[in-house]
Amino acid sequence: MKTNPRLIILFLLPATAIYLAFFLVPAGWAFYYSAFDWSGFGEEMTFVGFKNYVRLMTTDPVFWESFFNTLKILVVGGAATFTIAFTLAVMLNSGIKGKKFFRALIFMPQVIAVIALTTLWAFAIYSPTTGVLPNFFALIGWEAGADYLWMSADHVFWSMLIAIIWIEVGFYVVLLLAGMDKIPMEYYEAARIEGANMWRQFWGITLPLMWDVVTIAVVLWSISAIKVFEFPFAFMGPTTDSHLYTMGVYLYVMGFGKRDPIFQLGYATAIGVLMLVLVVVTSVVIRRAMRRDVLQY
Amino acid sequence: MTASSAVQIQEQNASARRARRRKFWAQAPSYVVLSAWSFFTIFVIGWVLIASLKTNAEVFRDVFNLPEKWQFTNYAKAWNAANFALYFRNSLIVTFSSVVCILAVSAPAAYVLSRMNFRGRGLLTTIFIAGMGIPVLLLLIPLFVIMTGIGVVNTLPGLILVYVTVAIPFTVYILTGFFASLPNELEEAGVIDGASDFGVFWHIMLPLASPGLITAAIFNGIMVWNEYLLVLVFVADSEKRTLSLGLYSLQNAMQYTGDWVGLFAGVSIVMIPTIILFVVLSERMISGITMGAVK
Repeated sequence: MKTNPRLIILFLLPATAIYLAFFLVPAGWAFYYSAFDWSGFGEEMTFVGFKNYVRLMTTDPVFWESFFNTLKILVVGGAATFTIAFTLAVMLNSGIKGKKFFRALIFMPQVIAVIALTTLWAFAIYSPTTGVLPNFFALIGWEAGADYLWMSADHVFWSMLIAIIWIEVGFYVVLLLAGMDKIPMEYYEAARIEGANMWRQFWGITLPLMWDVVTIAVVLWSISAIKVFEFPFAFMGPTTDSHLYTMGVYLYVMGFGKRDPIFQLGYATAIGVLMLVLVVVTSVVIRRAMRRDVLQY
Repeated sequence: MTASSAVQIQEQNASARRARRRKFWAQAPSYVVLSAWSFFTIFVIGWVLIASLKTNAEVFRDVFNLPEKWQFTNYAKAWNAANFALYFRNSLIVTFSSVVCILAVSAPAAYVLSRMNFRGRGLLTTIFIAGMGIPVLLLLIPLFVIMTGIGVVNTLPGLILVYVTVAIPFTVYILTGFFASLPNELEEAGVIDGASDFGVFWHIMLPLASPGLITAAIFNGIMVWNEYLLVLVFVADSEKRTLSLGLYSLQNAMQYTGDWVGLFAGVSIVMIPTIILFVVLSERMISGITMGAVK
């Protein structure tokens, strides 16, 4: 390890200055702004203390809807994503041929623009006229399936969640697979000789020995789930309604409006602060709940 | 060959066959599930690519058929009438400039944070990485005020500045991990040969870290190319849109135009470049993901 004060300062300066001025300072200001009634950029700001938060939590049912939607993505979406990702990863790791090919295809949605994928799911998969799913169900003669309205107000949230899971699974398959690759094969051979089936091998060997990777994966999921914005915001086009609101979407709608500007800037910023609080609380809870003694091997 | 050894060989062959068959049946569910999942992905993406070459009537009439005549005019229309040529150019400019600036800013910082000794090193690294947990949505309104203050709202350089900013935490994180994993010996050899500290960084460490730099460049490039929230907020003029925001407005206009095939052509123009990039670089990208998380 070396020291060279001039080089250190010179090398750190650009990144630190930009990060401070355009990331940390705005993040700090957000707390300040959230204490004001502020109806537009360039408008007068009125100090209201915690009133924005009180209003959000006591008199705004749309906020609660967006909060619970976010929570559903976090918990239900998380459970589904990890169940599927673990299943696919174990299958990929079972010595099959074409492992890299399948892994690449499962990962692929991750590199495609979310805005392209919302169009794909809304118009090419779910649409009652052109959608692949309703038409496929009609083709095999399953009428109830063919008539199911994926994009109707009652169903659209869960339809969206399916699409989000399809996108996100690839990332976690890759992450979990890398954790599994570190586990020595001898353990599995020993377990097989003892007569342990795949189920027992997973709970007895795979999961405990890659617990650190699983913890990181769950934290990453919670961070990305809480800030979900791009998919729900575009999924129903400009007619999007509160069925699809996440905290991120509601923040945007209150801050910048949909087609007609709303500009409740202090109020919107308060939602952002609550998102950050949720990220911090969730991360701490996950780390506490998942803390185990590290297994050395 | 005696009769008994022939029998033995036969028995061995039979048991090997049985083992193979058992393995096949044990693996069959895996093949079925993995194939089904992969098939779905290929099928829907392929369906959009093919639908983008149909007529609107064909899309509704024959959902699963190939077009009678390939309608390349759909692309010409998206490219010219829907302004995708301009958006494509904007996306190239913004993506390329952002990636270059992200690396130019983050690589020296990551190098110093991982390989130099000074007070507050650990704290500073933590502060940089903590940014990965802060939702960008929280920054939007204060950042808009700052950007307006310095007069760069609604400009491409301003947009690039925003991308550089939001990319710093992830890029510093991935590059500190990479620099930290490089061996000390070459650095020491450089010092003995009389290279300056900057020379060691520029001529020895940076080339060694190039796989990490390339990985960071790919991920940030794809992030910038694909994202539309920040363009939506920080760019107002339609001629300054990037491709993904162009697709967003095309999708919003659907309820008036009803031009499905034009929309599918737009989707294809947005996703084909990153899919090609992924086909070429999938191994590198997949190993890049796990660089930080799995030690």
